[in-house]
Amino acid sequence: MRSPAGRALSIASMGAGIAGSYIGYVLQRAFLGQARGEAKLKSTHTRAARRMRETMQALHGPVMKLGQTLSLHTAVLPEETLAELASLQMQAPGRHPSLVSVQIKRNLGGEPEDIFSDFTPKPFAAASLGQVHHAVTREGERVAVKIQYPGIQEAIAHDFKLFRTVSKPAQASGHIPKAAIDEIEKQILDETDYRREAGNIEFFARQLASLPFVKVPCVLHAYSSDKVLTMSLMPGRHLDDFLAARPSKKLRDQLGANLFELFYFQLLKVEALHADPHWGNYLFGDDGGIGMVDFGCVKYLEKESVDYLRSAFLYPGSTHSEEFGLKIEDHYRRTGQKLLPSTRRALIRFADNFYRKVYPPEPGKHQRFDFGDKKFLNDYLRESKNLLRAKGVMTEYIFMARAEIGLYQTLNRLQARVPTSDIVRKYL
Amino acid sequence: MATRRRSIGRRAQNKQEIRRRIVKAALSLFQSKGFDATTTKAIARKAGIAEGTVFNYFKTKEDIALHFFEQEVDQAMAAVRNNPRLRKAPLEEKLFALLNSQLEYLAPYERFIGAALIHALKPASPLGPFSHRAQELRHRYLGFVEELIEESIPKRKQSPLTFFAPEVFWIYYLGALLYWLHDSSEGKQNTTAFLDRSLTIGASVLRQARR
Repeated sequence: MRSPAGRALSIASMGAGIAGSYIGYVLQRAFLGQARGEAKLKSTHTRAARRMRETMQALHGPVMKLGQTLSLHTAVLPEETLAELASLQMQAPGRHPSLVSVQIKRNLGGEPEDIFSDFTPKPFAAASLGQVHHAVTREGERVAVKIQYPGIQEAIAHDFKLFRTVSKPAQASGHIPKAAIDEIEKQILDETDYRREAGNIEFFARQLASLPFVKVPCVLHAYSSDKVLTMSLMPGRHLDDFLAARPSKKLRDQLGANLFELFYFQLLKVEALHADPHWGNYLFGDDGGIGMVDFGCVKYLEKESVDYLRSAFLYPGSTHSEEFGLKIEDHYRRTGQKLLPSTRRALIRFADNFYRKVYPPEPGKHQRFDFGDKKFLNDYLRESKNLLRAKGVMTEYIFMARAEIGLYQTLNRLQARVPTSDIVRKYL
Repeated sequence: MATRRRSIGRRAQNKQEIRRRIVKAALSLFQSKGFDATTTKAIARKAGIAEGTVFNYFKTKEDIALHFFEQEVDQAMAAVRNNPRLRKAPLEEKLFALLNSQLEYLAPYERFIGAALIHALKPASPLGPFSHRAQELRHRYLGFVEELIEESIPKRKQSPLTFFAPEVFWIYYLGALLYWLHDSSEGKQNTTAFLDRSLTIGASVLRQARR
């Protein structure tokens, strides 16, 4: 039983959480209103995006994550904003060492200096739910220690309660299905269970063993709990550092192809996706190797959905044929969602205006798609937006779309040319 | 001469040991039987000494409780001062470390803390804010908080906010204590989150006010 005073206090603190989230929402709304207007100058977008990022950074916590996921998925934000948002995760200011000490003591039973033979108090990466530190174990292994912020689950519950309320109109109109919000909340909550993440890491280490260029960390269970996750340190550099060293065109193409293959290997072979593939979660090596970090958000896909994708990818006939139409219809029926004529049109438009261009069904010899040209990204965002308007959002694909846009953004930054269709065909 | 000094030292050590035993026995009884139901007789029995001896050290059980709170505050202030890493830390981290070390000290006696807080609301209670000793402790504590504020945010301009900061902190501290007492989250991590967020906001408000 809680006393009235205790209850009042916790309600007050909840109010504070909601106020914080609400500011984020209002800000987003204000910004969206601006974006919806006529095509503004690019600099305006970037400035507004930066302002939004700063505010979301200051709020830190789940609202940041929610904003990220939603904006990526719904593609209502211009590309410049997405780039700003992508940098959010890497640049979030970390929490102070005293808080880190408390979390380590509570989870591993001692001060960080006692548990590890060396522990760097300053985090080298900070995200919305936690931060990561360098350390050396007593056995002398160099590791990355990921520490979750306290009380994060409660904060997520608060943010979503609020979001459900403010998004009622969008839910009623069918633009954001209720199931989609549930799906995002579930995935974000899953990310707060580091034991589950440890399981994901071990799953991917097994599944990706046949791709020689991918490296997955090892979990050190003796130094881990549900809120602290200790992993072996991955070699390689973050994208910005990697690009700063001016890698050759050949190396960038190689890395792009590897990254692309890794995505489709997961999607079509493993049928599970590392669904948070913004460039902060990859480390790039000079040998074309890719180190994967952060396995919090993993989407295990339904077999049927993967089968559908397999049949739709590189579909040789016309997208306006009866057969293609039936494929879409059939898939929507099986997932229990209604296929409106407008949704169907939007899907076909998406296929024509984006997928057929990037993934030609009958590629010439040595076909390579140049991801360096930003036009394809704008095509993708425009078509996503159109699909959203046509109420074509499918819960199953929310995190897949998040992963896909993450892949495209990274390929764009790498300016890579990739034999897209050939790679996809390998796994059909 | 040397023997005498040694025996004085030993006597002082003995006295300290007995005092420690009384406090330990009392706290375990406060926690298990409740503050009101605990008698000095029971404390003496638990500590393995005569009841009269208890009175040589503490006049009442409230005195024992106050002694415990003094220790709590002293060790928390020492924890902040003796941590070299905190010397250059921002205000919110210092205050976080202070409060966290207090709460860690109180954690084994949670039930008693709740009772003591209620007790302190009675106007005539020696634990209450109007007793001389309790006031002195509060002044020492808030003096320390003020010192932390001073060294982190140099005072350039006086503002009402700076003047009231320690008093506001006292109310905040009581609120945090209540929050902690009623926090049923795993490992009381919601309190940790509450302290972290509220202190960050508080410190930034102070910084604005002193600019």
